[in-house]
Amino acid sequence: MRILVVEDDVETADYICSSLAAEGHVALHAADGKEGYLHALDNDFDAMVIDRMLPKLDGLSLVKSIRIADVRAPIIILSAMGGLNDRVEGLEAGADDYLVKPFAFSELHARLSALMRRPPMQTEETLMKVADLELDLVRHSVSRAGQQITLQPREYRLLVYMLRNAGKVLTRTMLLEGVWDFHFDPHTNVVETHISRLRNKIDKPFETSLLHTVRGAGYSLHD
Amino acid sequence: MIRRARPALGLGRTSVRLSLQFAFLYAILSAVMFFGAYWMTDREVRDWIEDQMRSDAAAFQRVYDGGGQSALVNRIAALSEFSFENERIYQLRGQDGAHLAGTVIDADAARAGEHVFLPVASVNAGSALSSEVSGYWTRADRIGPFWLIQGTGDHVIAEVLEALSIALVAGYILVISAGLIIGQFVGIRTERRIGSIIKTLEEVARGSLARRIPAADGDRDDLSRVSGAVNAMLGQLETLLESQRQIATDIAHDLRTPLQRLRQRLEHMQRATTGEDEDLAAALSETETVIATFHALLRIAQIEAGTQQSHFVPVDLGRLARDVVEIYQPVAEDEGQALTATIPDGAVGMHGDPALLSQLMSNLIENAIRHCPAGAALELALEEGAKGPVLSMSDDGPGIPADEMSKVFRRFYRVEKSRTTEGHGLGLPLVKAICTLHDARVSLSSNAPGLKVTVTFAKDAAA
Repeated sequence: MRILVVEDDVETADYICSSLAAEGHVALHAADGKEGYLHALDNDFDAMVIDRMLPKLDGLSLVKSIRIADVRAPIIILSAMGGLNDRVEGLEAGADDYLVKPFAFSELHARLSALMRRPPMQTEETLMKVADLELDLVRHSVSRAGQQITLQPREYRLLVYMLRNAGKVLTRTMLLEGVWDFHFDPHTNVVETHISRLRNKIDKPFETSLLHTVRGAGYSLHD
Repeated sequence: MIRRARPALGLGRTSVRLSLQFAFLYAILSAVMFFGAYWMTDREVRDWIEDQMRSDAAAFQRVYDGGGQSALVNRIAALSEFSFENERIYQLRGQDGAHLAGTVIDADAARAGEHVFLPVASVNAGSALSSEVSGYWTRADRIGPFWLIQGTGDHVIAEVLEALSIALVAGYILVISAGLIIGQFVGIRTERRIGSIIKTLEEVARGSLARRIPAADGDRDDLSRVSGAVNAMLGQLETLLESQRQIATDIAHDLRTPLQRLRQRLEHMQRATTGEDEDLAAALSETETVIATFHALLRIAQIEAGTQQSHFVPVDLGRLARDVVEIYQPVAEDEGQALTATIPDGAVGMHGDPALLSQLMSNLIENAIRHCPAGAALELALEEGAKGPVLSMSDDGPGIPADEMSKVFRRFYRVEKSRTTEGHGLGLPLVKAICTLHDARVSLSSNAPGLKVTVTFAKDAAA
């Protein structure tokens, strides 16, 4: 995948680019907003990582300009600590996701991967499936190996999100934001607790596990 | 927070009290003056009457000297005839005391050269005697061989004093009511200006630091000077708070890049090392803690800056509360605690920032979960109060000593016995900041046993 990284701090940019390369992507670095804009129009990128605070052209304006130029590649905005409106403003400007600095590379990578392989919106299926685990969105029913599983509404919501992103690594914060709409870091094991509840129902009684823990990154649902 | 002074009521108002006090003082001074004037006038009028009678006696002497007894008798008879309301009375007596002319006056009472008051009963003034005359000031003089006894009714004195009293009382009422009206006017004007000072200070206390007391038109009196001094102080305060906020933001901003690099390097090292390195994992985890603390600190500073209100949207607090409780129920269960919710079925609407409001509830629940032992019962309750939604989080855990309750909203404050537990001491300050942003009041109370945190929202905050 080809990824554009617009970041003015050289060390951070180098780190992101080399880490992306290590994951098998091709990363291109731009040090300011203007340069980023030219690159974004010239090349066909699969995704872009844009810092909110940039010299010459700030991140939000850059995202807006890119969208006006009808470039549709997914964009992740990197925002400053404590940025209260950064998420809303970033999404309004046309970004697809946001990440607060400082962040772990695994977080950035998981979010990029989720964005780059996002299925087109219209083709949402009503029946979702991973291995022998099935979820019917219309009938609100879940079964594994033909066996009905009764889930609490909160467990059901978590499973829907994980099935929609089956095969991808979902970090703690992605789950918090995507499933529970929590845009802050709780101090209790909210995610771990809910994952373990879900696991008890969809994995424990069966031979093989589908809900995997990805060490140092998050969780993933796959066979 | 400044407690609102109850305005425009009773004697508590300085202006009303002052104007009443002045009116009272004025009343006493005027009363003294009134009696003084009354007494003086009474004396002067009587002197004047006596002078008149003395001069009349001299005139009669001249009539006698010119025309003899008959002229004197005729003149006295004529004067007695024409005296209006018997105001003036005259009697001429012979040497033996026999009545010769004029009005019959009790002779014994009148003595030469003295002024004697005779009641009406001792005067035979005839049918024309005025009912307003209660008596006469009399005087006896020798005219040739005769005695002239003359009197002046006290009616004239009464009339003069009556006129004086009317003038004094009317003036008295006029002065007192003018004083009260002017006092009120000045009082209301002062009240209004004090009101604007109080209003400004209240707004500042609520966080609008840029507010200033409007300058009063007109001259510079003591209130303008107070306003000026308060404004100068507010300016100083704003600058101080601004620089304090700026310092926090600057520090966090300056540390953003170093922290990002630090984390990158640690991550890089972790990836480079094969197998598990405990020190590295610990260093990374500590870095996470530092970042989380800075993040929370910056968030509080940004919320306190108050610009967030422009992002308010209609929120259903009930739905938000149900969601948050649903999320935390299994967490509490794993700790051996029971988390319940008492939330009305319908929507509990208000304006606010949904992300911050769910963080507020989540902080309250997490606070209870972390400070309560296994077996504790936790309850998040929401009700539609008369003044707005009321959210409360109660538990039956160890609670907080009463003297520490006001301190837990300070940044980094930790109740002594909870120092060993996890947390950065910014949970409740964040709750407080979110409450302030939403015009809500947060208070702690004992749940006997345990702690109860109550958040009282204003009716449709910032709608």
